[in-house]
Amino acid sequence: MIETGSLRPLGAVLVAALSIVGIVVFRARPNVREGWSVLGALGTVAVIASMVPGVLAGQAYVTDLGTFVPGVRFALRVDPLGLLFGLLASLLWVITTFYSIGYMRGLDEHAQTRYFAAFAASVAAAVGVAFARNLLVLFVFYELLTVATYPLVTHDETGEARAAGRKYLAYTFGGGVAVLAGTVLLYVLTGTTAFTPGGIAALAEADPVLARAVFALLLTGFGVKAALMPLHSWLPDAMVAPTPVSGLLHAVAVVKSGVFGIARVVLDVYGPGLMGDLGVGLPLAAIAAFTLLTASVIALRKDNLKRRLAYSTISQLSYIVLGLAILSPASMVGGLLHIPAHAFMKLTLFFCAGAIHVETHTDDISDMAGIGRRMPVTMLAFAVASAGMAGIPLVAGFVSKWYLLIGSVGSGQAIFAVVLLLSGVLNIAYFWPIVYQAFFETPEASDRKPLVESPLGGRYGDGPAATRADGGRPGDGRDEDPKGDRSESDRNDTAATETPLGSGTTRETDSEAAGETPPPETQDSPTETDAVQSEGEQAVDRYPSDHALPGDDRERDENTADSKNETAGPGEDRESSEHSTFHDHAYDEPHGPPAGGWEQRAFGEESSWFVLGPILTVVAGAVVLGIVPYWAIFLRVVELIVAGVTGTPRVVG
Amino acid sequence: MIPTVAVTGTAPLTGVVAALLSGVGPASVEQLLATSANSPLPPLLVAVPLLVSIATLAVGYRFDRAAWSIAAIGAVLQVAIAGTLAWRVVTAGRVIHVLGGFVPPFGIVLVVDGLSALVALLIAVVTVGVLVYLRQAGPRGLGTTGDVFNMYVFLEITGLAAYALVASGDSGLAAVAALKYLMLGTVGASLFLLGVGYALIATGTLTMADLAVRLAEVGYQSTPVRAAFAFMTVGLGVKIALFPLHTWQPDAYSASPDGVSAFISALVSTVSAYALVRVVYSVFTVEFFAANPLARDLLLYGAALSVIAGSTLAVTQREVKRTLAYSSVSQFGLVAVGFALTNRAGLVGGIIHLLGHAVMKGSLFLAVGIIAIRTDARTIEEYAGLARRVPVASAAFAVLAFAMIGVPPAVGFVGKWYILLGAVEAGEPVVALVVVASTLLTLAYFARLIERMYFSPVTDSTGPAGTVADGGESSAGRDGRESESAVADGGSAGTDAATVDRNAEDTRDTRNDSDVEADTSAGADTDGDAGSAELDPVTDDPSGREVTAGMTAVVVLAAIVAVALGLLATELEALLRPTLEVLLS
Amino acid sequence: MSAVTDLLLTRYNYLAVVVLSGIGMYMMIENRNLVKKVIGMNVFQTAIFLFFITTAYVEGGAPAILESGGGGGGGPYVSPLPQVLILTAIVVGVSLTAVALALIVRIYAEYGTLDEEALREVTGE
Repeated sequence: MIETGSLRPLGAVLVAALSIVGIVVFRARPNVREGWSVLGALGTVAVIASMVPGVLAGQAYVTDLGTFVPGVRFALRVDPLGLLFGLLASLLWVITTFYSIGYMRGLDEHAQTRYFAAFAASVAAAVGVAFARNLLVLFVFYELLTVATYPLVTHDETGEARAAGRKYLAYTFGGGVAVLAGTVLLYVLTGTTAFTPGGIAALAEADPVLARAVFALLLTGFGVKAALMPLHSWLPDAMVAPTPVSGLLHAVAVVKSGVFGIARVVLDVYGPGLMGDLGVGLPLAAIAAFTLLTASVIALRKDNLKRRLAYSTISQLSYIVLGLAILSPASMVGGLLHIPAHAFMKLTLFFCAGAIHVETHTDDISDMAGIGRRMPVTMLAFAVASAGMAGIPLVAGFVSKWYLLIGSVGSGQAIFAVVLLLSGVLNIAYFWPIVYQAFFETPEASDRKPLVESPLGGRYGDGPAATRADGGRPGDGRDEDPKGDRSESDRNDTAATETPLGSGTTRETDSEAAGETPPPETQDSPTETDAVQSEGEQAVDRYPSDHALPGDDRERDENTADSKNETAGPGEDRESSEHSTFHDHAYDEPHGPPAGGWEQRAFGEESSWFVLGPILTVVAGAVVLGIVPYWAIFLRVVELIVAGVTGTPRVVG
Repeated sequence: MIPTVAVTGTAPLTGVVAALLSGVGPASVEQLLATSANSPLPPLLVAVPLLVSIATLAVGYRFDRAAWSIAAIGAVLQVAIAGTLAWRVVTAGRVIHVLGGFVPPFGIVLVVDGLSALVALLIAVVTVGVLVYLRQAGPRGLGTTGDVFNMYVFLEITGLAAYALVASGDSGLAAVAALKYLMLGTVGASLFLLGVGYALIATGTLTMADLAVRLAEVGYQSTPVRAAFAFMTVGLGVKIALFPLHTWQPDAYSASPDGVSAFISALVSTVSAYALVRVVYSVFTVEFFAANPLARDLLLYGAALSVIAGSTLAVTQREVKRTLAYSSVSQFGLVAVGFALTNRAGLVGGIIHLLGHAVMKGSLFLAVGIIAIRTDARTIEEYAGLARRVPVASAAFAVLAFAMIGVPPAVGFVGKWYILLGAVEAGEPVVALVVVASTLLTLAYFARLIERMYFSPVTDSTGPAGTVADGGESSAGRDGRESESAVADGGSAGTDAATVDRNAEDTRDTRNDSDVEADTSAGADTDGDAGSAELDPVTDDPSGREVTAGMTAVVVLAAIVAVALGLLATELEALLRPTLEVLLS
Repeated sequence: MSAVTDLLLTRYNYLAVVVLSGIGMYMMIENRNLVKKVIGMNVFQTAIFLFFITTAYVEGGAPAILESGGGGGGGPYVSPLPQVLILTAIVVGVSLTAVALALIVRIYAEYGTLDEEALREVTGE
């Protein structure tokens, strides 16, 4: 590989980072500010894309900024593996920026400047992670990524968001500390931290016990962001973030930076050969396989769509790790290819979840029966992407899983092939009901969701809180409300005087009390009032359907539901989704299907094009990646990576 | 090195003391203007040492002699200015200078009267004296300078200034804290002196270079030598505020004015830590540790304990300045760990972290000061939602805090990297673990603050925003939860009962502040005739003070420096190299 | 017997130093009155001064002073260095005491008490 000095690697990071300045400076003018976001994203992609031909031709671009600490250069280097991640993150950033604009404006979110600035910072850090020349520089950007994403996780400024932010910081800094320790040990052992395709030679001569310890430390550190069990639990909580964040960062940039770190460690620090000698591949594969299956099973039990997607992410990330850990060339191709494949598919799914939230304020799968009538394109995209997740051909997921299967069978570790197939089945099990009910069921005639609900060796609703697509929770908009405590006490009064079926009358007494006072069916169920709820848990979590009646918290009662819903009515549903003033109070608004089922919307009328456009683009990307993976560059890059590591020119036929 | 440190140590002293003695309340300004002679000299008195110290810092790392010359010229200049001023004061009574022509209440008037002129002259002379002494003692300037008794005198003079500075706080609490500081500081210095005595008995000399040789001749395992080391280290430990010798420090930091907290944390403790390096490496040398592994282990593990204990205590504090104070205990523990490792990486890490900490912690205190002036917020609870009200200072605070946590590439990380490297190279897994964990411990108390500043609703009395997780919770339950400082679910005051509860808490919190205000008003009466009373440029009186652009600029600049220093670590190490060679040989 | 006697006879100065510094330390820690604490501090310092001075003492030594005309004791001199040092240290100590007393005056003016416990209650620690 020929190394060429170039400022382009640094340029890619800087363009993204400098767009922050524009975003902050023009904070008073949203259109210009968003223009800077788009400009930053496009600029980053352009710079990175300009390096693609060179990298495919065997070049590597290096920016060397001098010595950082003795023996470690502060250098950025674009090699195939870095290009894979950098290109992916920046490409999807462009799409997500447009989606963010639609989403944030659709919900009239607060602190949008902070949001866009932190977003740009996160992507800049992710690109830095991708292009890091050595482990220490990677660590630098890895930590910066943590800091940059923290404001996004806590964006809502609610108690739940803060708790999630705390957890996020604790987990990721804990991981960072492990990476730091591993890096120092590695440096002491080998005198270098630079990435070398096929592994650092000096490491092979080091004490095997210490080498294994370093591996364990690095894996623990990167495993946090890669959400390997048991280090995963920050990820579902982080779903309180706005959906574009969950989409790009918590399905692509942040979590993949963890996976990317693992890939670097496996491919460029240890190398498959040394991993095999040290015998650390198999334990890693076992952890990945365990995570893969367990997360799928947990996903089955989640009623909140974003939480289910989060567990799906945890499971899918382990595909990548598993592919790397099996150590056969084909499985590595599969694993690495799954990085872009999963990114495109999962981003589609999150975008769909966000679109549903923006339009209908529905977050729970059990409320989504028949929603295909309301949002046909969105749900179609959702169906395609979930098919890809399950590994059905013609979508991206199939290609990567195919390589993974070949790799695991070919290397004599057929057990992992079984795990992969089983996980495919589970994928179908947790995605299919969503798609099916969206198109073929109505709110009146639908099955219970989620499919698996009863305790499996644990209490139900173990998650700290139900996560809404925007992370909203009761009264989050009330933070800024000077009349906060008044409406609060009003609401308490309401709750106290209310009878289970008296929602209609209460609503009348209530309506003049405060404009923001939530419609009764969301807040006032007496079970909510007297239930001893664990901290942070919401009624939604306990009662998958908010139509649930006291004493009958699981069974639906369609009649009551209908009568309650009439108080809200479809008209108000429409109104509130169109008038953004109400959008901060997401929880207060009617959500779930309106009475009489979802209305029919034609193609293109279901949401704004700022939302639909990105969805269609990403899902198209997922399909392209599934049909013509070579043409879509990513597979070529991946094969280049694996060839560089193993020395075999073409991995699989 | 020494001239640089000495000048940097004493120059701000001059500045601060001059400033300390010169601020005058607006009431007496007209009278002052009428009765005093105007002169451009007072600002020079403050500016010259600062400029000189910067110049010596800049030049000194390359050209040691030039540094000394500049320092000497500066110090002489300082003496000349102070002398002239003193003369003018003697002849004309009072000398004032209206800075930039801005008349109070917006501008600053520097007033030099007899006392402040004398103090300024004294400091200037001491500076020159120290410089002259250094010139004689070590022409190379590095590693061979100083004598341990002078170090004692220097420590005590710095200490004296620090005690006075702490006491310059407006409240009576400041006096109590200063007394506590004084007593413990004196004990520390006396123990140091005792150590010097043992060294003297053992060797008959006090010059560092000589001591190093003679101590080796006497034998590092002889009892007087060991005793000397023990007393000197413990004495310095008090001054540095290592756990468990730190008890003076939180009170002193929290009771003194913010500028003084910054000064003490940035300079006084730092200078003491610097003295520790000198004692450990120049006087006792690395061989002493080799001969007495127990001494090294005690210092090392004591410092490691300081890291953990300091952080743990910091987490439990409610007042921001106390949190920062305990944070200093922890960070100086880290510095001492670096020193005690006695290898190159550890020493470099210790020094870098020492410098970095001075920048970071000093400016954190300044940021806290700005925030306090703007919003009167002092406790962690009161920091909720501050980012919207004080955006720039909050941003600087956040950057500095993350730098302190050790987020790369800021200086906090680089120091930690070196220390960690040193710990691993020295084969000290436990210490390495502590160093690594210190990141998380630091995170524990800073993340709490940052979260409140940026992501919590404002909780001041005008609008206690209600974010109640679930509308149906009984108020009794909420009260119980409310009493905890960090409410996990973010449910804050929503009902009347909870609001009352909060107000009660506020009352408790602000009682100290009301003391402050009462004292200010009481002090204002006596100020008129005293002329040189204890007013300080940065007092914590929210009503009458404005945040100048300069104050904000300093904090922002410090935040940038904290990050930039990290990227310049290699250059720093290159500059330190000659010193390191001497110290580690 | 011999060890203790030996100590008492030849090292009594150290013993005095230890006793004095112990008394000083004890006063500083245990006494509730702030002024007495400062006195304790002084005692403690004095112990250390004593330590210096006595170590410099040489049996039968003369002061290290040369009289004009070459007079003065020939023989052994006591070491002048510690005496010089302690002279400085005393000055430092005195100024410290002055500052401490000034602070105490201020505390008394502020709170009307010099009792540590009472002060603690007043200041709300």
